[in-house]
Amino acid sequence: MRVPAAGEPRDVRVHSLIREIATLWAFAIREYRIWQSYRVNQVMWMVNIFVTTLLFFLMGQMVKGKAAHLMGAAYGTNYMSFIVVGIAMNVFLFTNLADPYTRIARSYFNGTMDLMLLSPMSIYTPLLGFMTKSMLDDYPRLFFVGGFGMLLFGAAFRFQYTLPALGFTVLVLSSAFGIGMISASSFYLLNIKRGTEPVRFLVQQLLATLLAGSYYPVTVLPRPLQWVACLIPHTYAFDALRRLMDPGAHLGGAVLPLQQILPWPPLAVDGAVLGLMTLILIPVGLLLYARGIEKARRNGTLTRWQ
Amino acid sequence: MIRLSGIGKTFPGAELSLRGTKLVTQGPALWVRNLARAVRLTASPGAPVRALEDVTLNIAAGEVFGILGPNGSGKTTLVKIMAGLLRPTEGAGAVAGVEMNHPQAIRRRVSYVSTTGWMGLEWALTAEENIRFFGLLSGMSGALAKTRTDEALRDVGLMQDRHKAVSELSNGMRQRVILARALLLRTPVVLLDEPTVGLDPIHRDQVLALVRETLPARGQTVIVVDHQADALETIVDRAAILAGGRLLRAGTPAELVSGLEGVRVLEMVTRGSGEPRAAIPPQVQEVERIERPGPLGLTQWRLTVADRSDALEAALHWVLSGGGQAVQVAERAPRLADVVTGRLRREVSR
Repeated sequence: MRVPAAGEPRDVRVHSLIREIATLWAFAIREYRIWQSYRVNQVMWMVNIFVTTLLFFLMGQMVKGKAAHLMGAAYGTNYMSFIVVGIAMNVFLFTNLADPYTRIARSYFNGTMDLMLLSPMSIYTPLLGFMTKSMLDDYPRLFFVGGFGMLLFGAAFRFQYTLPALGFTVLVLSSAFGIGMISASSFYLLNIKRGTEPVRFLVQQLLATLLAGSYYPVTVLPRPLQWVACLIPHTYAFDALRRLMDPGAHLGGAVLPLQQILPWPPLAVDGAVLGLMTLILIPVGLLLYARGIEKARRNGTLTRWQ
Repeated sequence: MIRLSGIGKTFPGAELSLRGTKLVTQGPALWVRNLARAVRLTASPGAPVRALEDVTLNIAAGEVFGILGPNGSGKTTLVKIMAGLLRPTEGAGAVAGVEMNHPQAIRRRVSYVSTTGWMGLEWALTAEENIRFFGLLSGMSGALAKTRTDEALRDVGLMQDRHKAVSELSNGMRQRVILARALLLRTPVVLLDEPTVGLDPIHRDQVLALVRETLPARGQTVIVVDHQADALETIVDRAAILAGGRLLRAGTPAELVSGLEGVRVLEMVTRGSGEPRAAIPPQVQEVERIERPGPLGLTQWRLTVADRSDALEAALHWVLSGGGQAVQVAERAPRLADVVTGRLRREVSR
């Protein structure tokens, strides 16, 4: 969003904000219309969700007895509930973390970045607008994952802490978006235009997948790796959401290394770290992105088709 | 409306040198430093390119101004600098009263349309949806975007086809959709990069009329970039000629060809002619020869000759000295296109 200048009258600032939101809405409609126009895509979207979800559930079924034993008291005893949180949050986080880079790459290779930067909107609005496509694609998966888990595989949840769970979700999505923007800025700042983007690979595909506790608790890892897991927001989100939503889980009882050394309740540690990460990562991500755009403006590399 | 002073632009390349243990890098590449050797991790665009050199230009409000030059002369770079999409390496200037170091503010005052590349057309959406979305992206209300979209589509002759998806439109029609986008915003400055490339004669004339009449009538300043001077000669108030990143000359079309009063252009088609055997006569200043493929063995000639009564005869004699016969001969005064394509550029730049 464009940050209104300090001297601007309040009604101008509000008008600017409304305009930016209206633009995002226009993007959402546009992306939905495009999504809708590819009918095969819709069918494949359903099949893809079903197959990937089923795969994780079947693997979960294989190991659930042993896994339940390893989960420890903090996360309850239902491994299916444990894994539903892992899969669902990964879908959310993957969108926020991986999508900014993908969208910039699309805009660059399609030659639309010039056009977007000619709009009087903020330089961030088109990026967020393009991301609505992924939100349309990915966010509904949450309901499918939850639905499959509860109806077919015996996952269960408690809902008395829904509000705090939503708060943790917002925090982790925000901090993941900050990392996503850092990843996106590498497109122009480091000229990483094809192949594997290192920030995204390191955080999402390596640390989050292996260490954050998506499919097994962090406690099964060697101690040094547990500390490495503490470096990314996913770990705290999984911990908090499982404590809040899984039946039989406990709000107390430290699991993560940081929870063990800080004299606060585990959820307070999770919340503080996620809040801190959000406060740091989002400004850093936005700043680096703006610098990347400025560098591209200097070097003439905003878009592939000059 | 637009003031440019000493504008230069160098696109950085990537260079690597090891001076002792110090690694010097330049350009958008990622390097890993090692005391023994340097490893380049990403591709680099090669050597730096000097795209513009000391361009100084003033364009008045309401003018239709052409930027002409052959491929690679720096036209698009210049117009992107005016649009705020590129930062000049040196020089200063202002667009619609906004200094060039404020690209965010410039973009509220310019519409820029390039017909090269995709420029943001979404193929799954209709022509109308593409244009209207751009209006919304530019901060228009839904109602205003709808009204302006209809007007713009009417201006480019696409009302009949407005509900067709872009994928169903021909190339020329897609190009007109892109042009319609430029008509939407009513910004003080409109920048059009090669707006008539690929259009059939009817729609080319329609676009040229739009540029000549409709946009100036709305009080908009129009900058048109093209390498085909014939099309622009009739619609621009003034034009600038670029070559090799330098501004050769700026002025009205008549001024641009002035100084060529002593020159005529001779266009010929010959059949079965070989290389001329005679020495080139002093009346002939420049020769362009194109062999046309086909069984007739035709050769096309374009000669710049001195404006003297004996020049035509001397030139003909020289061309036919290699054998063959003349099929067609025409003599005319030099045009702007002759200047742009380089045959007479040397004379103009003197």
